[in-house]
Amino acid sequence: MVSPHDADSGDSAETTARGSTDSDRSSAGGGDDPRTATAASNRFGDAATGSDHGVPDFVAARRHVLTELLWLATVLRRNGVSVPTTGPLEAARTLSVVGLSEQSRVDAALRATLVTEAADRDAFDDAFPQFWHRLRTGLERIATAHGRDRTTGTDDADGDPADAGSGREEEPQLLPEAETPSTVDGQDGPGPAPQVRIATDRRRATGDRPDAEESSARRYSPVGGSRLVDAELDRLSSGERASIHRFVDALATIPGRRRRPASSGAAVDARRALRASLATGGAPLELPAREPTPTELRCCVLVDVSGSVLDTIDRSVLLHFAEHVQRRARYARVFLFDTDLVDATAEFERSGGNPAAALRDARVEWGGGTKIGAALETLRRRHPDAVDRRTVVVVVSDGLDVGEPELLEDGITWLADRADSIVWLNPLATSPAFEPSSRGMAASVPYVDALFGFVGPEDLAAAARQIERRGLDGPVGYEYDRRRRERTGATADD
Amino acid sequence: MTGSDPTAPASLSEDDLRERFERRDYVADAATVTTVSLALQLERPLLVEGPPGSGKTELGKVLAAAFDTELIRLQCYEGLTAENALYEWNYTKQLLAIQANEGTVAGGDGPTATADVDSADRAEASEEPGTVFDEEFLLERPLLRALRPGTDRPPVLLIDEIDRADEEFEAFLLEVLSDFQVSIPELGTVTASHPPIVILTSNRTRGLSDALKRRCLYLYVEPPSFETEYEIVRRKVPELDAVVAAEVCAIVERFREEAFLKQPGVAETLDWARAVARLRESNSADAESADAGGESSAAASISAGEIERTIGCLLKEAEDVDRVDTELLEQLRDAAAAARDRLED
Repeated sequence: MVSPHDADSGDSAETTARGSTDSDRSSAGGGDDPRTATAASNRFGDAATGSDHGVPDFVAARRHVLTELLWLATVLRRNGVSVPTTGPLEAARTLSVVGLSEQSRVDAALRATLVTEAADRDAFDDAFPQFWHRLRTGLERIATAHGRDRTTGTDDADGDPADAGSGREEEPQLLPEAETPSTVDGQDGPGPAPQVRIATDRRRATGDRPDAEESSARRYSPVGGSRLVDAELDRLSSGERASIHRFVDALATIPGRRRRPASSGAAVDARRALRASLATGGAPLELPAREPTPTELRCCVLVDVSGSVLDTIDRSVLLHFAEHVQRRARYARVFLFDTDLVDATAEFERSGGNPAAALRDARVEWGGGTKIGAALETLRRRHPDAVDRRTVVVVVSDGLDVGEPELLEDGITWLADRADSIVWLNPLATSPAFEPSSRGMAASVPYVDALFGFVGPEDLAAAARQIERRGLDGPVGYEYDRRRRERTGATADD
Repeated sequence: MTGSDPTAPASLSEDDLRERFERRDYVADAATVTTVSLALQLERPLLVEGPPGSGKTELGKVLAAAFDTELIRLQCYEGLTAENALYEWNYTKQLLAIQANEGTVAGGDGPTATADVDSADRAEASEEPGTVFDEEFLLERPLLRALRPGTDRPPVLLIDEIDRADEEFEAFLLEVLSDFQVSIPELGTVTASHPPIVILTSNRTRGLSDALKRRCLYLYVEPPSFETEYEIVRRKVPELDAVVAAEVCAIVERFREEAFLKQPGVAETLDWARAVARLRESNSADAESADAGGESSAAASISAGEIERTIGCLLKEAEDVDRVDTELLEQLRDAAAAARDRLED
């Protein structure tokens, strides 16, 4: 993690320390790109040690760093991290000490200031890479754009000192990374390039979806041909993973009744309030709060792997969801069903980050028709231990059942009776026109605690949001999805 | 503060810090070093969280040793009040002083009920009014001592398990930590000439207030990786054979994968390593006196019996100990065997 350059930077004077850091860094970066590193070390190594040549646009760089810091804080807050109000300010201060050249040090500095809860570290882990990418890209842009200006004005790194900004001395710590790719100059053409490149999503272009001809020819038959799990899964982006984590965390709040003391909140901790009132002669002057403890999660995931579901749903997200449940929950079972029910718990357990491969190795097939009733019957008979009264059952299915309706009704009542709650994720329910009118869905809906749409990770995040806000007993479900209303509104306007 | 002093904590580079840690056999990862260094440079309190036994308290001790300064430790507990933590008047001594003065002036028959009145009279009469509220009668408690160190080196103030203290105390602490000064009504305001290096540790038995968290830099001490833990064991338990140390770490690593009620921390690993080392020492002594037993050579791997006999060092819950069955022991042995290969890599 720690690069060898630190050995030189023993200076107490900050500017000098930064300078040696950056120049060292650029020479160390020679392995990555020897062409640019030499030029860069000339340009910025000199500038940083206090001479007046080739200084990048510090004002723009500074603004960029601060903007990105605020962006990171916003993203973290959106993902439920309690970033202190002064967090970004503190973060900026720490950055002025550690500099921007080393990812690990920036990571440690921002983590120390923006994160204040052990539970929030995951969210930071998820958000940081994108922040780092944005920061680096932006700084490189600024340095490059400036370098171009400079080369048109002066001819050499040792040229005119006139363009050394007077404000430079104030912000030596915001010196951008030295390894500016000078080759970009030629590609980008003239003009400033303030656009920050953002990591692009690169999924779904791969084997996630069946290709066009296959899907057009596809039939959703009750006995539809099963095949081996064929999805080549890509890595999920941090945002997508955060959505999955958030949903599973929301599930974990469902069975919890335990509460722990909180620093603020609406729920009063009566016991502590009474105890505190002793000191004030029995008058409860302060009302300590408490909040639900995120409890152990016992979960049973029933995934409909019929062709109709697989073609609509984002398979990567689905498998990662199942895998994450498996990892996060105290006790979890994962079953795949189409016309038959398969216990895939062990495969997900062993998957090691690649559930698709694990399923393939286990020769689990998917893609047949749907017989939910029969699947539940099998679950009841063969795996009665999978569901108990503390278990949250998550059913992923479109409810297009081709089995016998009586069997389904029997199964779902049994399940509702036995489980703590049933959360149903239906890929069709993302459509604004969705109503649970199909035979299977209509039979199941009365026994389901919440029915959400689920095609991609954003649906999981929306569902998690509802559960967090209102609990499973509140008004939650696809019909309360804000996006649904927006979509219906949009279609009505058209 | 002596700004030019190269040993001043605030002007210490990360490498110096790492070197000082190493000299005290404290193995820290890069993120820890960076964060601690930041806290020193910015003169911010550092809030350290992590699983029990991960070396949070040790960090404070090592810092004090590294800067060759005093370690002032404030162990928090429920019901801890500002008086316990800051200062107290030595009532007994005050009373004695009053009575002593009274005795010399008013004679030996003064009833205690009039002692206050008499002392007030005395105080008026003497040249130094109110002398019982003097330095002499002040009992310094950890926080005040941290603000008034005897030397010109900033002390290390270790506020341990802050989550156990009441919220009122936390609020009080905020005031001290933000300005590094306290006011004693009878004496005046005490301001720290050398702000102490403040380390707070928490085990998360309750959430800390946002105000406190906002003032601190936050560090979460991760459970160590195999390599880190091996390094720690090697440094702290040098008498244990290198291969056995690797096995110990591998077994602990495997233990942590189990869902135990109380996960073994680094402290437990060290205890266990010491126990194993001691056990082997005495065994080999026995073997030498009895017979040159071939099996108890120095680098013999840990046997299932050894694990079972010393399991108390690692697992502190009866339920956890019960869960260690032959199957798990077998897996532990596998992990230990794999450790030898990992060591060679």
